Amino acid sequence: MPLHRRRAERRRLREAVLGSEPRQPAPPVAGTPSLRVLTGLVLDASPHLLVVRTPAGEARLPMTGATTVWHGGRGGLAALRPGREVVVRVGGDGLAAERVWVDAGRVTGTILACGRDTVEVDMGPHRGRAHVVIPPHALGAVLVRHPRMEPGYLFDVICVRSPDGPRAVRPGTSQPGHRADQMADAALPGHVGGPAGPAGGPSRGTATWFGGGEYGMAYPAVDPEGQAGGCADAPAGCVRLPLLSLGSDVAVRNECTGRAATVPVVECGCVAARYCDRCVECGVSPRGRVAELSAAVFVGLGGDLENGCFNATVQPAMGDARW
Amino acid sequence: MVTVVQNAQVLLLAAVLLAACLAKLAVRAPAEADHVHGVPLPAGARQATVLRNSRSAGVGLGVMEGVLGLALLVTSHVSVRIATAVGFAVATWAVSELRAHRPDAGCGCFGGLSTKPVGRRTVARAMLLTAAAVASLWAPYAGLDVLRFDQARVGLALVLAVELALFAALSPELATLFGRHARPRTSCARRRSPLAETYATLRDSRAWARHENAVTSAVPVDVWREGCWRFLVFPGRRGEQALEIVFAVSTAERDREVRAAVVDAGVELGAGAGTGADHDVPRAGDDPETRTSLASAAL
Repeated sequence: MPLHRRRAERRRLREAVLGSEPRQPAPPVAGTPSLRVLTGLVLDASPHLLVVRTPAGEARLPMTGATTVWHGGRGGLAALRPGREVVVRVGGDGLAAERVWVDAGRVTGTILACGRDTVEVDMGPHRGRAHVVIPPHALGAVLVRHPRMEPGYLFDVICVRSPDGPRAVRPGTSQPGHRADQMADAALPGHVGGPAGPAGGPSRGTATWFGGGEYGMAYPAVDPEGQAGGCADAPAGCVRLPLLSLGSDVAVRNECTGRAATVPVVECGCVAARYCDRCVECGVSPRGRVAELSAAVFVGLGGDLENGCFNATVQPAMGDARW
Repeated sequence: MVTVVQNAQVLLLAAVLLAACLAKLAVRAPAEADHVHGVPLPAGARQATVLRNSRSAGVGLGVMEGVLGLALLVTSHVSVRIATAVGFAVATWAVSELRAHRPDAGCGCFGGLSTKPVGRRTVARAMLLTAAAVASLWAPYAGLDVLRFDQARVGLALVLAVELALFAALSPELATLFGRHARPRTSCARRRSPLAETYATLRDSRAWARHENAVTSAVPVDVWREGCWRFLVFPGRRGEQALEIVFAVSTAERDREVRAAVVDAGVELGAGAGTGADHDVPRAGDDPETRTSLASAAL
C-alpha cells in the first residue's frame, strides 16, 4: 500500500479508536507557516523566468535581481541548464523565486572504503550506497571536519550531483570520534539516550536534510516492531524521542526562523540516530538529530541547504493528550 | 559549653567516618567513561581520578576510615584526633583539586553514592569537617564516654542535631541515596515495548474478550505505533459484512489499558470513519473498556 494511502488509513483507524481530537501542534511547536517551495527539473531559464517541471505540472516562476542560485557555491544563470534538478524557494510575496539550489545533494552514512579522492559510503538500508568524489578544492575542508577517513567511521558532506556521481562541496557536520557501530558512551549524562524532554513536551536538537524527493522526514525513532517501518538495528539515538511509525505526523519548528510545519514521517532515520552533533545556526542546539527533513521541507522552513542544519524543535502532532 | 561542642565534634566525626566506610564497602562506584563521544580523555584528566577508580584503593581507604571512626569512639588519645584532622585536611585538598581538574567527576567520598560532580557544597563540607576535627583535638572524652558520662545531654544533642543538619544540607549523596530506590519511569511514548508484551496485554483485556468472536484471523493486518499507543487491526466479520477491529494497546510500563473500535472494512478514504464510528466512539475520558461503536454493539 502506498505510504500516503496507508497514512490516511491509519489516521482513520486511529481516530476511530482514540477519537478525533484536534491535530494542531502544541504551542511550543507552533510558528509562522513555511514558505512555498517547488522541486523539479529545469525546463527553461532566462534572466526573468524559470520554468520547472514539478510532479504537479509545469511551473513558471519570475526571477528577479535578488534571486540567488547555488550550484556548489554561488552560481549564475548558466547553472540553470535544462534537465537539472532544482529546489526553488519562493519569496515572501509567493510569486518570484528567491533562492534556487541546483543539483544539491547530501551523502550521510558510514564509510565503506576510501580512495585518494573518493569515498564509498553506505547511506543506510533505505538509501543504498554512494561513491563520492572529493575535488581538491573541497578536500581540505572535508578533512578538517572528518579527521578519520577510515572504513567504519561516519561521513556527512553536502554535494553537487554530477554525471560521475556526487561531488563533495563542503562538510555537512563534524565527524563523531566514535565508529558508526559504537555510539558514544551511554553513561555520560545528557548524551546518548539521555536528553528526553518532558514526557509530553517537545524535543529539541538539530534538524538536517537528505536528498529524498518525497515531502516528509526521516525520523530517528521509528518503532521497529510490526509494520511501523523502523530498522531492526537502529540505535536508540542521541535524543530520546517518542516512538512513531511511517505515516505519523510530526510538528517541526525552525528555531532560527520561527517557521513551523507538520511533516509526515516517510523514512526511518536510523542514520540520523547515529549522530550526536549540535547545530550552531542560531545559538547552540542541544545534542542529537531530531529530524532529517527532505530538501523541500528543510528549505520551506527557512533552512539553507548548503548550511546543512538548523536548530529545531519537534513534537508528534497527534490528537491524543498523552504525549 | 566549649567542652560540649568539642565532644559533639568527636561524635560527628566518628559518625561521618563510619558512614563513609560503610558506603565505600557497600556501594561500588560505577566504572567511569574514559571516552567522551569517542574521544579519549586526556591522560592528565584520567590521572586525577585514578585512585578514586581503583576498587582496592577505595576498599583500603574505607577500612582506614572505619578504623579511625571506631578509634574516635573508644579512645581519646591525641594521635587519633591528629590523624583525623590530617585526614580531613587531605580530603579538602583532594576535592578542591578534583573540582579544578575534573569538574565532571564525583569525589567518591561516599563510594558509589558520590557520583555527582564535585561542587562548592562538597568542598565546603570537607572544610567544615576539617575544622570540626581541629576543634575535637582538645575534647576530653572518647566518643562512647561522651555518650555515657556527659551531663549536658540536651546541649550535646542540640549541637549534634544542628551539625548533622548542616552536613545533610552539604551532602549531594543523600539525593543519590534516595534516588536509588525510586526507579525512573520511562515515558510511555519513549518506552520500547516488545510486540509480545502488546499481544499479552491485548489477550488479557476485556476489549479482546468482547470482540474475540468477531475476529477472523489470528494475525493482525496492520500493526503500528504512535507514542503511547500501539495499534493492531484485525479483520472481522458480522454476518456477511466485513469489518476491521482496531485495538489500541498502551505501551506504558504498567497499568496498560486497551481500547477497541469496530469499523466497516473498505470505507472510502477521506469519507469519514465509516459505520458511524465518528459518532459512536466515545470521547477521551470515558471508560476505555466500554468504548465500542454501534457496529460492535450489534455483534
